[in-house]
Amino acid sequence: MSAGWSNLGRRLLLLVASALFLVYVLAPVAWLVSSSFQSEAEITAKPPHWVPRHPTLENFAAIFKAEQEKITYETRRQGDPATGGFIPSTAKNLLPSMGNSFIVALAVVVLNLLVSVPAAYAMAKIRFIGRSGSIYFMLTTRVIPDIALVVPFFLFIHKLGLLDSLSSLVITYLAITVPFSVFILLSYFESLPDELDKAARIDGCSRLQTLLRVYLPLAAPSLVAVVLFTFLTSWNEFLLALMFTQTPASQTMPIIVASFASDFTISFSFINAAGVLAVVPPVALAVMFERYIVSGLTAGAVKG
Amino acid sequence: MSARPGALQGPFRHPVSRYDQSSAMWLLAPMMFVLLAVAVFPVLYSFWVSLFDLKLTRPQRVPFVWFANYAHVLQDALFWSSVWRTTLFTLMSVSAIMLIALLMALLLNEEFRGRRFLSAMLLVPWAIPYVANGLMWKWIYDSGYGALNGLLFQLDFIDKYMVWLGDSDKTLALIANAFVWKEAPLATILLIVGLKSIPADLYAAARVDGANLWQRFFHITLPALRPAFMLVMIYETMMAIRHFDLFFILTEGGPAEASHVLAWDVYVETFRRLAFGTGSALAYLMALVTFLLAFWMIRALGQRL
Repeated sequence: MSAGWSNLGRRLLLLVASALFLVYVLAPVAWLVSSSFQSEAEITAKPPHWVPRHPTLENFAAIFKAEQEKITYETRRQGDPATGGFIPSTAKNLLPSMGNSFIVALAVVVLNLLVSVPAAYAMAKIRFIGRSGSIYFMLTTRVIPDIALVVPFFLFIHKLGLLDSLSSLVITYLAITVPFSVFILLSYFESLPDELDKAARIDGCSRLQTLLRVYLPLAAPSLVAVVLFTFLTSWNEFLLALMFTQTPASQTMPIIVASFASDFTISFSFINAAGVLAVVPPVALAVMFERYIVSGLTAGAVKG
Repeated sequence: MSARPGALQGPFRHPVSRYDQSSAMWLLAPMMFVLLAVAVFPVLYSFWVSLFDLKLTRPQRVPFVWFANYAHVLQDALFWSSVWRTTLFTLMSVSAIMLIALLMALLLNEEFRGRRFLSAMLLVPWAIPYVANGLMWKWIYDSGYGALNGLLFQLDFIDKYMVWLGDSDKTLALIANAFVWKEAPLATILLIVGLKSIPADLYAAARVDGANLWQRFFHITLPALRPAFMLVMIYETMMAIRHFDLFFILTEGGPAEASHVLAWDVYVETFRRLAFGTGSALAYLMALVTFLLAFWMIRALGQRL
């Protein structure tokens, strides 16, 4: 009887705790999504409509049709003359900026893997002089704050004439992603048996062949984690992009979204739609690959 | 590493083969090149720049001033008030992150139906870009139509809509709240690892000895979590000290200077006043503090490696 009661109590407690957990984690996002489907008139209701009563796609339409529609001083208030909130003429930059973010993130992922995989393999599986030194070196670079890199990067990039180009972002994002990737891969390679290395060497494989044919296939889960981290870091990065990009040609998604957020005249319903678009790709990736991310974060953080 | 190749090295029982040494060097070379070029060199160069009075508003004259930039920074009242605000922001954020992450980790460490769904949802705040996180909270805190006002009003906690971010007494705490919401999931994941490492026999033995839930929590769980707590604390402290994005999106250092933290100070100095010399000096001081913390972290964790 008492066991039954305590079991019931435990289930009730877990239920309440789970509910609180979900409210804390999801409520702010739910509100962002809900208000992105509200018109400017509805969004200004007091008290707010938690669930849109007249759901509308006009905010998203404004983003997706921005290319075709000419927004002038006269037309921009047409969306909602009552409140004066309007769609900015920069709305058309959002989709291209997401394209930019995607290109940068993809390039960083590829370069990152090319650099990190061999290094992590060498540090995990080869005995050489300077091994622990190179691990400490890599660990040290991991803690350099990005804000300390801003000034020197800016001066270099300025000198190289790469200001306002996507390549400047790709180069600088390597600095903030490579150490973490090496770290995840290193701890994963370390967990794979050394005997594989010896066996492959006896069969006449070179180091590179051993890595590519034996270890790489086994390391697939950590590779997935590295790809995801690198992609998300690049997709979300703001500070460096703010410094090194100046025109829509190179501006990434966070820059365009931030420019909406800092403009008081833009309607919040539109800003929220832009926010939802910015949030969907990374959140979808994270939730889909939750297992890999958690194991990657665990491996990458526990040791460094 | 002063030993010559082939000599016996600490953990290695066999001499290092020449092939191993050279193949390791080749495999490491790309990473070394990238890290030297995009991390080490910039940091050293940044120190060099911090010794010059470099202003982009006056590019033709760049005098070498030794440590004058540092002296200038250290004498600046705004610098010290930013240090104070950064400290305050860090203390508030890190303590809240630890508390919330502990609660979430304790929940997710239990076995129950729906746990997998909860752990997937935990990644939602983690994955959201800081910029989107910033505009989301800006909208929630909005003084005219925000959800916070709406909620508190409907619950009768306030009788009229209030100014939140614009109130300099509340700004820092509200920004910290947005930061905590996004950072807590990572801390939770790290704490779950700590919880999982506690052997179940310990609890069983304590139960046999008649320890109740609270005693088990305070005498087994919390002490065993110490290393994970240290890790979270130091990592999140580093993140909080250097945090920039939310300050840019939510307040731009305002109202007045209520959220003028160190990272924002670096930004204003370099990219608004275009004083790259003092900006570098400031960034360098920040990097130094972070390095000391990181050193502490690596040493504290080194005992477990």
